[in-house]
Amino acid sequence: MTAAARPLAVVTGASRGLGAALSRFLAAQGFDLVLVARGAPALHAVASELRGSAHIVTVVGDVADAQVRARIRTAVHRHGRLDLLVNNAGILGTTPLPPLAAYDLRELEHVWAVNVMGPLALVQELLPDLRSGRSRVINISSDAAVGGYPGWGAYGASKAALDLLSLTLAHELAAEGIAVLSVDPGDLLTPGVRAALPEPELAGRPAPEVTLPFWAWLLHQDPARLSGHRFRAQADRWEVPE
Amino acid sequence: MTRAILPPSAHPAEADRTPEDRGLARDEVRLLVSEGPADTDHRFRELPGLLRRNDLLVVNESATWPASLPARGRAGAFVVHLSTRYGARLWVVEPRWSPAVPGPVPIAPDETFDLAGVPTRWVAEYPGLPRLGFVRPEGDLERAMARAGRPIRYGYLAHDYPIADFQTVFAKVPGSAEMPSAGRPFSRRLVAELRSSGVRLATIVLHTGVSSLETDAAAPGARPVYPEPFEVPEATARAIRATRRDGGRVIAVGTTVVRALESATDDCGLRPARGFTQVYLHAERPLRSVDGLLTGFHAARTTHLELLAALAPAERLARAYAAAVDRGYLWHEFGDSHLILRP
Repeated sequence: MTAAARPLAVVTGASRGLGAALSRFLAAQGFDLVLVARGAPALHAVASELRGSAHIVTVVGDVADAQVRARIRTAVHRHGRLDLLVNNAGILGTTPLPPLAAYDLRELEHVWAVNVMGPLALVQELLPDLRSGRSRVINISSDAAVGGYPGWGAYGASKAALDLLSLTLAHELAAEGIAVLSVDPGDLLTPGVRAALPEPELAGRPAPEVTLPFWAWLLHQDPARLSGHRFRAQADRWEVPE
Repeated sequence: MTRAILPPSAHPAEADRTPEDRGLARDEVRLLVSEGPADTDHRFRELPGLLRRNDLLVVNESATWPASLPARGRAGAFVVHLSTRYGARLWVVEPRWSPAVPGPVPIAPDETFDLAGVPTRWVAEYPGLPRLGFVRPEGDLERAMARAGRPIRYGYLAHDYPIADFQTVFAKVPGSAEMPSAGRPFSRRLVAELRSSGVRLATIVLHTGVSSLETDAAAPGARPVYPEPFEVPEATARAIRATRRDGGRVIAVGTTVVRALESATDDCGLRPARGFTQVYLHAERPLRSVDGLLTGFHAARTTHLELLAALAPAERLARAYAAAVDRGYLWHEFGDSHLILRP
């Protein structure tokens, strides 16, 4: 394994919405990328758009699938280093969003497999690389993790679980130099949301690029000082915690 | 509701040149003082007599960039106003046809245009703020400004002025696209007089981006502000605590100072802070950090005017603004000043 010059980021759910915007941003900041998503055509479109400015590897598949995670690890090993893992892939579950009392439990298991197990499994899979890179892990959360919004219970509970995974991993991995944090990007207008929500709930949601200043700020901070914290990308202010 | 502070039909007098160009020293501009029910007329240099011992003036140390740069792209020649730097490779900018003529300038997604010699990629429009967009420069824009930048100047100014005319006596840390103009009337002599009369001074930094947006120019639901870098140092947090303890008043010099102080204030009070803020202050979000504001006169439908309504009732401000229009006070960054003190 040779150490590559350019930093590498793995972004899951990279084919559209926040994941695609973040991938474009990271390529512009000088990262090479392993882009992961289920939808091949959209993923390849993002990859070919970015190939002029960065080295891009695509992995088509679901992060809940062990074989897909193994392919991600292979791609990371080929590159030779890992600096950033963004666990952005997530699913809303059944839409229109049913109340918890009527939620299909098998569907609930699937939401948790993708939104909770997927990110943890990927951290486990890439742990040696995260260790040697003293990397950052960013888990994408949601205000639904704390809101208790009717209809958002399954998704929200999965994001609340992900927040606690982030906090715990931050403590467990601090001694190894791995920083883990969670980011609530705030309400955004993304293809996933557009497909799931009724029109009136879409009004006023900004495009994912509204979070670019936040990511630029985040990347310039000392990761160790951010680890274990939860940030809101559209908050009134962002600052390094005391 | 804030429309009532300055009706769109009002025609305030505009400062189309610097005070020096009007035959005045910096601190000889007029000062309207709104305290209690009264709106009284003064000169800015009378400030030491209008404040009390132990009052604290908080000023912005941000210096003004020559942030207007020539650009050339597929649309031809235009200008770009640099607003805010989020990192070496991410800026928010406002493309315009000329200093006096706003955009939109048609720039294709991913188009690379020439920005004062620096190849610069258009990344995306700023969501909700159609005049602004993200760009990625392939070079050092701060160096480009030093070489080719001019101060941002809007149509109401009679002619160009050098960047030195856009600096306050407090300017220390470059980074504002537009002058934090509330500090413009202070002279060094006046600062010394204030200190010797027992008024304290403290500093913050907030780098202000391009002009306060018209609040109805933003897309519905979008907040009409974007993140700006700020810092409230420990010494300032201490000075504010001491002022409260000694019964003095905390007076912000400029809306930028209010934004910085409010961004450093939470339920436990004010503490040192450093980061980015996009706090949007308006009538429904009352201020917790200041007792008064020394500022200029603001145009209708701007976020600056909304912020004033967070300090004093809109109907009280409307009376002050009507008086200012009647009495010929001058609007804009080189104009007259307004001291608003909470009852």
